[in-house]
Amino acid sequence: MDLKDLHWTTIAKVLALAAAGVIALGAVVVWSGVYNVAASQDHLRITTWLFEVIRERSVTVHSYPVEAPPLDDEDMIRLGASHYEGGCVPCHSRPGEETNAVVRGMLPAPPDLRSIGERHPPEEIFWIVKHGLKYTGMPAWPSSQREDEVWAVTAFLARLPDAAGDYRALSGLTRGALGGTSGELASGRALTQCTRCHENERNGTNGDRIPRLAGQTEAYLLRSLREYADGIRPSGAMEPVADFLSEGERQKLASYYSSLRPAAKDKAVAPDPEQIRRGQSIAFRGIPQQQVPACMNCHAGRQSPHFPLIAGQHAAYIETQLHLWRQGGRRGSAYGRIMAAVAEALEPAQIEDVAAYLASQARGLASASPMAEAHQ
Amino acid sequence: MSLVRSMAPLALLAMHGCAGIQSALEPTGAEAERINVLSWVLMLFCAAVLAGVCAIAAAALFGGNAMRARLSGERLVIGGGIIFPFLSLSVLLSYGFYLMGSNAPVIDTDGRLRVEVVGERWWWRVTYIDEDGRRIESANEIRLPVGRPVEIQLTSADVIHSFWVPKLAGKLDMIPGRANSMTLHVTEAGISRGQCAEYCGGPHALMAFFVVAMPEVEFAAWLEREAADAQPPSGAEAVTGQALFQSSGCVACHRVRGTVAQGTIGPDLTHVGSRYSLAAGTLENDPAAFARWIRDSQHVKPENLMPSFEIFTEGELDQLALYLDQLR
Repeated sequence: MDLKDLHWTTIAKVLALAAAGVIALGAVVVWSGVYNVAASQDHLRITTWLFEVIRERSVTVHSYPVEAPPLDDEDMIRLGASHYEGGCVPCHSRPGEETNAVVRGMLPAPPDLRSIGERHPPEEIFWIVKHGLKYTGMPAWPSSQREDEVWAVTAFLARLPDAAGDYRALSGLTRGALGGTSGELASGRALTQCTRCHENERNGTNGDRIPRLAGQTEAYLLRSLREYADGIRPSGAMEPVADFLSEGERQKLASYYSSLRPAAKDKAVAPDPEQIRRGQSIAFRGIPQQQVPACMNCHAGRQSPHFPLIAGQHAAYIETQLHLWRQGGRRGSAYGRIMAAVAEALEPAQIEDVAAYLASQARGLASASPMAEAHQ
Repeated sequence: MSLVRSMAPLALLAMHGCAGIQSALEPTGAEAERINVLSWVLMLFCAAVLAGVCAIAAAALFGGNAMRARLSGERLVIGGGIIFPFLSLSVLLSYGFYLMGSNAPVIDTDGRLRVEVVGERWWWRVTYIDEDGRRIESANEIRLPVGRPVEIQLTSADVIHSFWVPKLAGKLDMIPGRANSMTLHVTEAGISRGQCAEYCGGPHALMAFFVVAMPEVEFAAWLEREAADAQPPSGAEAVTGQALFQSSGCVACHRVRGTVAQGTIGPDLTHVGSRYSLAAGTLENDPAAFARWIRDSQHVKPENLMPSFEIFTEGELDQLALYLDQLR
């Protein structure tokens, strides 16, 4: 047959037949169960290669719009290491330690992250930690709204392997469990988890990104734990922890922290008096023309015990939470929706001012308005 | 006949829209009365012109040739098309200027009662400045003495609003950074309703208020009560309500004179229980409405600046409502 006589319908028929053959063959392979999905046996080399290329390209392309904030803050790295200890160690192990045998049976096995910084820029690390990776066992961060937490983990990972030596200190492992009360707190396991990051009788918090709980009102602490457990207050770190506690343990923990005496400040930063003055004005008088009420109308400790005390709280923590509110991340609870109206009315510079002022105060009840005269 | 019968209820319904507490056609204020006269003059005059035009058109259609010849002459075109409109519109305009020209504040307001109204998102901050210069703050309702012109000063705290009480006067814009002034001279005791008449954001349609005109003696007594501090709550429930009010953040935005509540962001609530409406003409004023507003303000009036306080139990809401209702 001359090629010239080949009609287009003939070509179409041949192509259709070939396609049908491929589909039928594919169906046989899929349904027959011939392909071995066992993790005990590696993929075909070509499959491994294909998966890796797809994964690397996908991470690179999807992380393209991500912009990294400054990642060199020591307390941010501490927070990241603390999150790492809680969420990542079960699979990736502590830096420098061997992964456990159970995890080694995974395919692909969780990589050693000490060299992650050489393989990926921070934007890619952030994207992977936030979203996880399909078909690898790498989960997404439990709360997609808490990019601040993901950036902390990224900051820690980007600092590896240099930070590996300090890992036990950074992640709070060396802080030790609490003193006398542990026996009373049933399983004790709960509090061991808490005090690695939050205070105990001997230590303050593990860095200023972690909120001070000592002396906080019991009702507020209990409400927070319940909100974390119910998934209406977002946190990749606290949601899993609170969910894991029984109601009785939550009550005991709330009571323990509420009666814990606030530790002295860890470090004294010389405050900028002008900034403190601006922050004090917001705390006691608000910014009426901007619809910002005064903080101390709710948070001085003389109001509802469901409202947290904020005097003496870390500035970095207050700022993070207010920004989270501004981004709509704390609208899950009825209390959060009220505060949202306030946070959304604040400018970023004003958030810095008021956080600096509150952090400069003694922990606990706010003094009766030092601006009483001005108020009149 | 059947057509008439079917149209009658519709016509009645349409006429009903002309009556009521927000009708410019039932004026109870000096300025609105002038506007009313002008409107009727205009409407009657226009109706007469329309009738004339119809008559001429009918004559052209159905009249004989002689009539048509007369109608198509230059005289009618020049007379009816140029001279008549020029003269009649000039006269009407002059009459309008004459009538409305007296809108400017006619009185020397020094030492007399003045009312400052500030448009807020989305409510009205009302301050009475009495003969002694006392400033008495209230919100979302204006009370006026009958038979005495009162200067109203209008401005805005945020966006442009417009102050309009159709039964009492024409509308006047409230502009940030500028004080506009008008005089309200109420001629009859009674209630009229005002409405923001310039789109000012989401809840614009729910930004209304009542104007209550009272005889001079009653007004003086009312103003004294309004100037006083809030009554302490009576009854255990209301006392608990006050404690809740003071411990739950309400005081950050609201003032109740004579208590620790000294917020200035939202409406003054010192005598909120005595007003005719809640939330700027949005709800009736009763304890159930207070409870609904506190719990659900964002549904009742979406986007308004008070967040819904869903943190209270039903019992607590009742206590709060009772306390607020007692603020008379």
